[in-house]
Amino acid sequence: MKKKLSASYQFAVVVILLVVGAIVNVYLPWYVMGLVFAALAAVLGLPSGSGFRLGFVSGFLLWSLAAVLVNVQHPSSLPERMAKVLPLGGNVIALYAVTGLIGGIYGGIWLWAGARLRQKS
Amino acid sequence: MKSIKSIIPLICALLFTYALNRSWGTTPPFGKLLSPFHGFWVNAENPETEEASLELLKIPGLQGEVQVIYDEMGVPHVFAKNDHDLFMAQGYLTAKDRLWQMEFQTHFAGGRISEIVGEKGMASDQFQRRMGSIYGAEKSFEGMKEDPKAEEALNAYSDGVNAYISGLSERQLPLEYKLLDYKPETWTPIKSALFLKNMSFVLASGTDDLKMTNILRKYGKKVAEDLFPNYPFEESPIIPVGSPIDFKPVPIPAGPADFTGLGSSMMTPEKDPNIGSNNWAVAGNKTVSGLPILANDPHLTLQLPSIWYQMQLVAPGVNVYGSTMPGTPNVIIGFNKNIAWGVTNVGSDVLDWYQVKFKDASKREYWHDGKWKKTTLRIETFKVKGKENFVDTIFFTHHGPVVYLSHEKPFRSNIPVGHALRWIAHEKSQEMTTFFQLNRAKNYDEYKKALTYYSAPAQNFVFASNEGDIALWVNGKFPLKAPLQGKYLMDGTDPAADWQGFIPQEHNPHVKNPVRGFVSSANQFSTDPSYPYYLGWQYAPSERGRRINERLAIMNKINMDSLRGLQNDNYNIRARKVLPLLLAQVKASSPAQEKGLAMLKSWNLQNAPESIGATIFENWVLYLQDAVWDDEFAADEKVPMNRPALDRLIHMMEAEPQAVWWDNVKTASKKETMQYMISGSFVASMDSLAKKHGPMGPEWAWYKHKQTGVRHLIPGMDALSRLNIPIGGGGSIVNASTTKTGPSWRMVVELSKEGKPKAYGVYPGGQSGNPGSAHYDDLIDTWAKGELRSLLYLENPDQKSNRLRKKIVLSSK
Repeated sequence: MKKKLSASYQFAVVVILLVVGAIVNVYLPWYVMGLVFAALAAVLGLPSGSGFRLGFVSGFLLWSLAAVLVNVQHPSSLPERMAKVLPLGGNVIALYAVTGLIGGIYGGIWLWAGARLRQKS
Repeated sequence: MKSIKSIIPLICALLFTYALNRSWGTTPPFGKLLSPFHGFWVNAENPETEEASLELLKIPGLQGEVQVIYDEMGVPHVFAKNDHDLFMAQGYLTAKDRLWQMEFQTHFAGGRISEIVGEKGMASDQFQRRMGSIYGAEKSFEGMKEDPKAEEALNAYSDGVNAYISGLSERQLPLEYKLLDYKPETWTPIKSALFLKNMSFVLASGTDDLKMTNILRKYGKKVAEDLFPNYPFEESPIIPVGSPIDFKPVPIPAGPADFTGLGSSMMTPEKDPNIGSNNWAVAGNKTVSGLPILANDPHLTLQLPSIWYQMQLVAPGVNVYGSTMPGTPNVIIGFNKNIAWGVTNVGSDVLDWYQVKFKDASKREYWHDGKWKKTTLRIETFKVKGKENFVDTIFFTHHGPVVYLSHEKPFRSNIPVGHALRWIAHEKSQEMTTFFQLNRAKNYDEYKKALTYYSAPAQNFVFASNEGDIALWVNGKFPLKAPLQGKYLMDGTDPAADWQGFIPQEHNPHVKNPVRGFVSSANQFSTDPSYPYYLGWQYAPSERGRRINERLAIMNKINMDSLRGLQNDNYNIRARKVLPLLLAQVKASSPAQEKGLAMLKSWNLQNAPESIGATIFENWVLYLQDAVWDDEFAADEKVPMNRPALDRLIHMMEAEPQAVWWDNVKTASKKETMQYMISGSFVASMDSLAKKHGPMGPEWAWYKHKQTGVRHLIPGMDALSRLNIPIGGGGSIVNASTTKTGPSWRMVVELSKEGKPKAYGVYPGGQSGNPGSAHYDDLIDTWAKGELRSLLYLENPDQKSNRLRKKIVLSSK
C-alpha cells in the first residue's frame, strides 16, 4: 500500500521533527531523539516509504545546522582540530557534512522503524 | 512473516544507535561524539571578552565565601577566608580547567591506563606497579597525614575536585573523555600522593646500574672506571668550589664486598636523558634594583595540557603566586611578598638494585645476611578494558619489590631481571609540608625549615628573599653510602650492600650568600669531590651549568630582562670546545662537504632557530659518538650497555688520540684512527642531512631539524598538539628545548622591600586543558619567542587592573 504525501505535508513533518528533535536533544541524552522520531512516525502514521527520507532530511538539517550555529556562537579552533582527528584534513565544512550525515542516518533509520511498526498494527 | 519484517527496521535502528554510542577500540563513539548537542561541539568556548563578568557558584562544604578573579591569561587569583576553603577552591578550579589531565596522569602513575585503552596499556601499567608506584604513594600518604595541615589541604583539595566532578553533566565532560569514551571517577587524596610520587618516576628513576654491570662484566673494572669516571673533566659544581663545610660529617659506611653479578636484560625504549632544569638567584649587589632576582626554568617533557597551572592563592597568612601541579595542593614554584623559590632536579643515585637469591621457585624465602628470610607479597589487580581482570603478584624483599622475575621481559632495557629495587620513592615522606611552608615562608630560616620535610625527588631549591639573602640547598633524602656504592648492581645477600641510613638533612650540600654574588644549578654535580659524602657518580652534563656560571660571574647591573635573556641563551659552549678539535681533523672531499665546513667555520656558535651551523654540528657529534662507541658499547638486545659521556670523548680527543676505542672492532682487518673516525662521521652526517632535507639550504635550519613539539598526552594526537615550533636551543644549551623536552615553566622574580614583588613567567601551553578554549595553547608563541608575560600579583580582591576578566564567587549557600 502506497500513500502519496503532499509537499506541504512533508514540509510540516520535517518542521515538527526539527522542533521536537531540537528540544529533545537539548534536554535529554543523544539516543532519545531516535525513540521520539519513531514514536512520532507511529503517531502520525507516516508511510514507511517516505520514513527514511523525511527522517534523514530532518536529522541532517538538525545536526548540521546546530553544528554551524554552535560554531558561530562559540568560535574556536576546536572544529578544525576535530576535523584533523577524525580525519578530514582539517576541513570544517566536511565536518559539518559528516555531523549532518550521522544525524541524518540516525533520524532516518528511526523514523523508518517507527513507520514500519505502525503499518504492522 | 509481516510482523518480523516490521521489527527488522527497529532492530537496525537499535543496532545503529548502540554502535554509535560506544567506542570500538580506538574508534570513538561517533553518535555521542558528533552530536552538536552532546558531543565535542559543546566543548567550544567563547574567547574571553574584555568586559568583567560576575558568576556565583554553589559549592557545598565551603566554610566561607571564596572570591576568584581570572586575569587575561586565564590565571585564577583566589581569595579565601581560611586554608580549608583555599585548598578546596584550588581543587575545584584546577579541575574546572584540567580535570581530564589530572585523572589521566594519576591513572598513568598508578598503572591504570589499561582501564582506558585496554590491553595495550598493560605493559606500562604492570611496570609502574612493579616499580612500587602505588606502594610508594601509600607510604607517602601515611607520612603526609602526620602533618594535620597537609592532611587538611589534601582532603579539602580532594573535596573541591569532587565538587566539580559531581556538578558535571555528560555533555559538559572534557573532550578527551568523549574521545576515549569514559567518565571521571571520584578523586581521592591518595591520588595527590600518586602524582607527587610520579615526579620521582619522572626525575629520579634513571638507573644505569645494569648497563654498568654489563660493562664491568665485559671489560673489567679498570676500563669501566676509566671510561665512566666519577667526576667530569670539565665541571662547575652547584656549590662553589671552596665553600666551607658547616657540619661535622657522620662516619661513612665501609661498603659492600666487590660484586660483579649476572647483569642481563632485554631491550625497549627508555627515559629521555634531556630532562633537566636551570635555576639561579643573584644577590642585590649585582642587580639594578639592589634586591635579589631569582630565575627558574624546569625542563620536562613538553606536553598539552601543560604540566603546570598558574594560580595565586590568598588566605590569612599566605599570598603566594606561581605554578601549581594539577593534582596537588599548594604552589610548587613561585613567590610571595617576601621570598621566591624554584627547583631543579638533583641527579644523585637514589635507586639501587640487589640481585636476589630465592630459596626455590615459590619465592617465599630469600638469602640475606647468612639466613633465609621471608618475602612479602603484594597483590595488584588490573581492570583491563574489554578483558578480564588481571591479577599480578609482586614479591618484596626487605630492599623493596622484585620488579621483574628472572624469566620475565622488562618494560625498559635498563631494568634488570631477578633484582630487588631499593628506591627513595618508597620512603614515607612529607613533601606536601615543604610546599605548604614554602608558600608561607618569610625568610631564609623558614625556607630552611620547610626543606627539612622533603625527601624525593631530590631538588636544588634555589631561594631569594627581600631581606637580601640568596641561597641554594641541594635537598632531599640521600642514602648514606660508601663511595661508588650502587654504581653497579649489588649483591642482595650481602648486608653491607644495604643502604646504611641517610645523610643528616642539615649536611645536605648548601650555600648561602656566596662571595661570587649568585647561586645557580643546572643539574650538574652538586659539589666537587671534597664534599664528605658520596651522592652519585653521574650527573647531567655540565655545559648548561658552566655557561650559566660564566655568564652570571661577569654580568652586573642585572635586571629581570637580562635574566630572561640568559634563560633563552642559545650559546653552544660544547661547540666552543669541540668544534676546533673536530675541524682540525677534517678535509672536504666534495663541494657539499666544502660548503658544510665553511658553514661551520663561520658559525657564531649560537643554536639559533635558523642556524644551519648548529644543525651540522649537533648531527656530526651524534654520528661521531655512534661511530666511536657503537662497536664496543652498542645496546645489544640482551646486554644493554652505557655509552661513555661526551665529556669523556672530548678528553679522548684531547689527550688520548691513540686510545684503542677509536678503532672499529667490527672491521677486523683495518685499524681506524681518530682522524679517520672524525672525518668519516662528518661525511656520514652530511649525507644523512642531505638525504633528509635536500641540498644545504633553509630546510637545514636548526629548528626544522630539531622539531620541537608540545604534544598532547594521548600519544599520536597531533591535531591537539603544536609541532615544529620555531625555537632554538638544545639539550646542552641553557635554552634546553629539544624535540620532546624543554623549559616547562620560565619564571623571573624580583623581590621588593615593600612586599610588592615583580614577576614574569610563561609556560609552553595555556591555562585551559580544553582544546576548544582560546587558553589551550595561547602561551606557546610567547614561550617560543623567548618572551615572558608579566604575572599579576594582587594584594586584595578589590584591586583594580585592566587585566582582570571574569569574577566567580564560590560559596556553600
